[in-house]
Amino acid sequence: MQAPANTMPNARHASRQLDSAIPVAVRQACSRIAPSWPLDRFIAVNPWWQLVDQPIADVSERLNALAGVAMTMPPAWYIDQYRHGAITDADIAEAIALSSSPRLTPAHVVKLLESAGAAAADTERRSLMVDVIDKTRDITHHQSWRVFVVTSISQHCAAYFDEGGQSLLSPDRTLGLYGSWRLQAGFDHSPSLLMGAGAFIGLARQLPESAIDAIAWALGVLAVPADELEPYLHSLLLSCNGWASWCAYRAWIGKVEAAADGAESEMADLLAIRLCWEALLLQMADDQARNLWASTIENWRPVSASNPASDAIWIMQHALEIHRQRDLRTKLAALGVIANDEVDAPSRPALQAVFCIDVRSEVLRRALEACAPGIQTIGFAGFFGMPIEYQPIGTHASRPQLPGLLSPAMRVTDAGLSEAQVHARQARMRTLGDVKRFRTVGLSSFPFVEALGLTFAWSLVKESFRIAAKPRDIDGAGLSDDARSRRGFELVAKADGSAVTLNDRVALAAGMLRGMSIGQQFARILLLAGHGSQSRNNPHASGLDCGACCGQSGEVNARLAAALLNDPQVRRGLALQGIVIPADTWVVAGLHNTTTEDVTLYDLERAPASHRDDLAQLQRWLAAAADAARRERSAGQGAAASARQAFDARAQDWAQTRPEWGLAGNWAFVAAPRGRTAGCQLDGQVFLHEYRAELDSDGTILQAILTAPVIVAHWINMQYYASTVDQQHYGSGNKVLHNVVGGHIGVFEGNSGDLRIGLSRQSLHDGRRWMHDPRRLSVFVEAGREAIQRVIDAHPMLQSLLHNGWLHLFQIEGDGQSACYTRAGWLDERAPM
Amino acid sequence: MTTTHDIFASLTQLPAPILEASATLFLWNTVTFAMLALVSLVGIVIWRFAHTYLEGEPGRGMFKLMLAITLAAVFLLATADSLLVLSVCWLVTSLTLHRMLTYYPDREASLLVAHKKFLLSRLGDLSLAAALVMIWQGAGTLSISELNDAALASGQVDELTSLGSIFIVIAVILRTAQLPFHGWLIQVMEAPTPVSALLHAGIVNVGGFVLIRLADVINLLPATQTLLVVYGTFTAVIATLIMMTRVSIKVNLAWSTCAQMGFMLLQCGLGAWHLALLHLLAHSIYKAHAFLTSGSTVERWRFYSHAPRLERLAAWPLLLSLPVSLGCALGSTWAVYRLLGFDHGVETALGFAVILGLALSPMLARGLGHQARTAGQRLLLLVGLCASVMLWHALSHWSGVPILAEPSALNWSIVLVCFTLLFALQAGMIMWPASTFTRNFQPRLYAGLYLDEIFTRLTFLVWPPRKS
Repeated sequence: MQAPANTMPNARHASRQLDSAIPVAVRQACSRIAPSWPLDRFIAVNPWWQLVDQPIADVSERLNALAGVAMTMPPAWYIDQYRHGAITDADIAEAIALSSSPRLTPAHVVKLLESAGAAAADTERRSLMVDVIDKTRDITHHQSWRVFVVTSISQHCAAYFDEGGQSLLSPDRTLGLYGSWRLQAGFDHSPSLLMGAGAFIGLARQLPESAIDAIAWALGVLAVPADELEPYLHSLLLSCNGWASWCAYRAWIGKVEAAADGAESEMADLLAIRLCWEALLLQMADDQARNLWASTIENWRPVSASNPASDAIWIMQHALEIHRQRDLRTKLAALGVIANDEVDAPSRPALQAVFCIDVRSEVLRRALEACAPGIQTIGFAGFFGMPIEYQPIGTHASRPQLPGLLSPAMRVTDAGLSEAQVHARQARMRTLGDVKRFRTVGLSSFPFVEALGLTFAWSLVKESFRIAAKPRDIDGAGLSDDARSRRGFELVAKADGSAVTLNDRVALAAGMLRGMSIGQQFARILLLAGHGSQSRNNPHASGLDCGACCGQSGEVNARLAAALLNDPQVRRGLALQGIVIPADTWVVAGLHNTTTEDVTLYDLERAPASHRDDLAQLQRWLAAAADAARRERSAGQGAAASARQAFDARAQDWAQTRPEWGLAGNWAFVAAPRGRTAGCQLDGQVFLHEYRAELDSDGTILQAILTAPVIVAHWINMQYYASTVDQQHYGSGNKVLHNVVGGHIGVFEGNSGDLRIGLSRQSLHDGRRWMHDPRRLSVFVEAGREAIQRVIDAHPMLQSLLHNGWLHLFQIEGDGQSACYTRAGWLDERAPM
Repeated sequence: MTTTHDIFASLTQLPAPILEASATLFLWNTVTFAMLALVSLVGIVIWRFAHTYLEGEPGRGMFKLMLAITLAAVFLLATADSLLVLSVCWLVTSLTLHRMLTYYPDREASLLVAHKKFLLSRLGDLSLAAALVMIWQGAGTLSISELNDAALASGQVDELTSLGSIFIVIAVILRTAQLPFHGWLIQVMEAPTPVSALLHAGIVNVGGFVLIRLADVINLLPATQTLLVVYGTFTAVIATLIMMTRVSIKVNLAWSTCAQMGFMLLQCGLGAWHLALLHLLAHSIYKAHAFLTSGSTVERWRFYSHAPRLERLAAWPLLLSLPVSLGCALGSTWAVYRLLGFDHGVETALGFAVILGLALSPMLARGLGHQARTAGQRLLLLVGLCASVMLWHALSHWSGVPILAEPSALNWSIVLVCFTLLFALQAGMIMWPASTFTRNFQPRLYAGLYLDEIFTRLTFLVWPPRKS
């Protein structure tokens, strides 16, 4: 890295320094944007993931200065929480004690917050050239340049990245993002016709050919001082954050899947385009605007100043979290030393059911456990440790079925289909594709309307009255009903193309069983329940599916895992490793429909006759549990006594914008034996991961939990957090205005504007109040303090998250008491008031 | 809904003298009933959709009220015999739509669009008012049935009335978002989905309905016909090309509406009134469905991602399939008109069969080069689609809507030349995406050929979206 530029009086020296500083600043700015996944695999991401190496309050201050981003709720909201008792004086006192300003008092903090509204004047975001030029124009009677530039760039990105998702004609991609923009800008009459910028085309034709030259040229024109380069470039990217996040995603999968050529430089191209707009605007500006720009860059608001009001807000935010933490810590301690069933009561469980750690499993698990004594439920990442991508047979469609942090190591495809069935699928899909083109490709759309338009009357009636509103089986696209019922899944190859051996499969199975701390006891039935959601006409549907399966239903993983564990060869291999699955244990795969709470079981016809009764019993329990879960949840969804119908209606209604509340309310993660939380009413807001330290002598499982599921949960938590505190930058806005871009890339809110990332307002707000209160994730781990410390010491990423205030960590002792991790050490008890 | 319901209920209970009077106030024919059926279906579906969709949004009640008034106005519009009543109802729908377009008054872009539309619609109103005055002066009546009867009886139309019809066409062009007055139609995505659906499936079609009402009059006016054909063809062709470059679903659908409106107008200009009515109904229903299910775009993308990779369309299969699909379309048309004994409208039907044949050829071409069975299936599909089109043609033929007996050769050559050109451009750009022509033409099409910029700029000056 380059040393920060000194402020030398010699101008030539300064300009040389600028040249060498540019590539570094570009790289740094581009590395500050987190990826955003497309809608067909819409997993949650912490939008500040590339900034977690800095304290959260500093990031907040920086982003606020650069782009007007908010990272907390408005002061009035915290005051409101305080008035309603969601924050107490005790919470504030604790937060103060843990803060960098310990001399404050709760009363003082509240007072600072109450007066914070008045101090908003000096928190205006830094002006960019688009803002400067808008300030010198009458933007009531003319389109504002900020809107025009964002729209223009966004439209170009959409066309460039579309790749046949929606349009039939795309710009020339061989020139790259910047090159194709430059070509197009050279004859773009819009700035001249709409904005009155007649000089645009002439200037655009003189733009440098390569993106990096363009950046250097533009920075020279704009005369940005060397020490402001990186913040300035960062703020430009933030002004088109949606597409920057898309470029970041392309670079991310480029690394993971090695699929997207040249994706690494796309963000730099985007930056170059945005920067060229700034420079062109300055070139076209009059003296007034030029002078204003010169004085603006000299007086840019510092990116790192702190003010008492924002300190107070962060104290209140922490107090909000402390309030919940205290409550849960009390609950966890209430049970004292918990019994170890395997040692104390070695009776065989009536049922073992593994669910995803997803907070939505908690309600159903509690309901299932209440059905009969001896039902044991286990929380484990819903991809069941299967590092796979799934390719429906006979197609080119392929998708990861594992967390976005990991890259697939094996490929799965459909098994049990004949070659003829596969050929039939291809022929059918080819025909359907051509019929679709008849509908959409230009000229033929006229005869199409005449030939088939009136038949949509029936579709309208069917959708409106929810007739036959079964979910569409996308994975079975083009397959006959018979083929669909025959379908199973098999591992076909590893990522390097080599075959999957028995050893690989045993290793997968062993890793899964160890990871879920299942121990040595197996019930007659072991249920592996993945989860998926059910909604209709919902562009963000995959955001409600399993995040650990990369925004897909967990069906493939659960069925594959169950088949592995039922395979006699694999069981023999497991036995050699000391994991003995009794011969009378049958593993069954299921899918928890998080929208309706129903659980579907798979491959029942493959179960041995001896287990028919057990499976029938399982189905009765699941039905009862689903009823109980619906009753509990209907209180939150405002549905009446006929909960079943109300839930089905939500799942099947094409007009429903709130099919379910997803992971709203999530705030904590507990890695402990289920006994630690058994009976606790956690309201479907806590991630539960089974962890038994006594089965993990070397700490490898603990390390895996803290570096994978906890990070996934943190991403989810921060997605909900960010979308709530700043809908404009990190939320996708109003669902009733959503307009899908490029078939699957993302949404616009309305006609155009930047690509929108994150959750919609409807996913977080019921029209009257927020359904999610922003709380940073609190992780509770029942393990030895040294073991936890070892993992933290070995992982700088965890240190960043913990030391910079992105995550809270607690250690639960054997007696249920817990200690809070701080940079200075473990706090058993918090400082007294 | 209660409003329209009440009107119907009271209609059936009216005493005989009033019923007789209503026969003169109202115009009951196939077109009326078709429109009523359409409005009822689309109205109910959108009402039900919006009720759930807008839950928790401020303004749901306002939307329902506006929808109710709009539906009532359209019911009256569809049944009225008086051009004056029709015009007033049309104005009412425009005003209620304005309120719906500004559903989110804090969204600057939505206000801008509403203002653009408001300005154009008022120009349309002026044109319509001028037309009514002229027709009243010329023909002495504003009764639609009287105007048509007089035209049929005398076989001619006075000069003032024919000038009036030009002004009606201008009003229709402004109200059905023909180029370059289309910007607002494309940009209405700033209002909730049901508003877009209502506009694209309903209100924008009213222009076509008004023309169909005056079919017998316009059948006697070649200048008016040519105006419609030129305008409609221009819009259909350009909007289709632009549509092919659109990347977001709703904007894509909006350009499609723009093109379909052009097509409907050219059908009117060619005197194919029965097909214009068919197009109006079919397009409304299709577009209502397309807009309301625009949220399923991702699901559809996933579904079609299971299809085999699309091979580039080569020239020889296309050239090979062109005569086959043209033959199929022309042959089935000729056969159906012969079999059913239709004595007029054969030329018109054959003209549209050419467009059908052009449209079907890429589908057949893509089937060639695979197994013989695939090609065979494609041929079967082709015949099926032709048959489906013919079925609707026959039904609309029987509907009693007038058909121009001797369509103008000039108008038909404009249409056929332009659509052949569209076919060639479209196929060429798809077959050679990297050619210099495509590379240079695509960005211009993507920019909408800069047709909307000046009007947007003017709107900012005349009626800015926010107060200074």
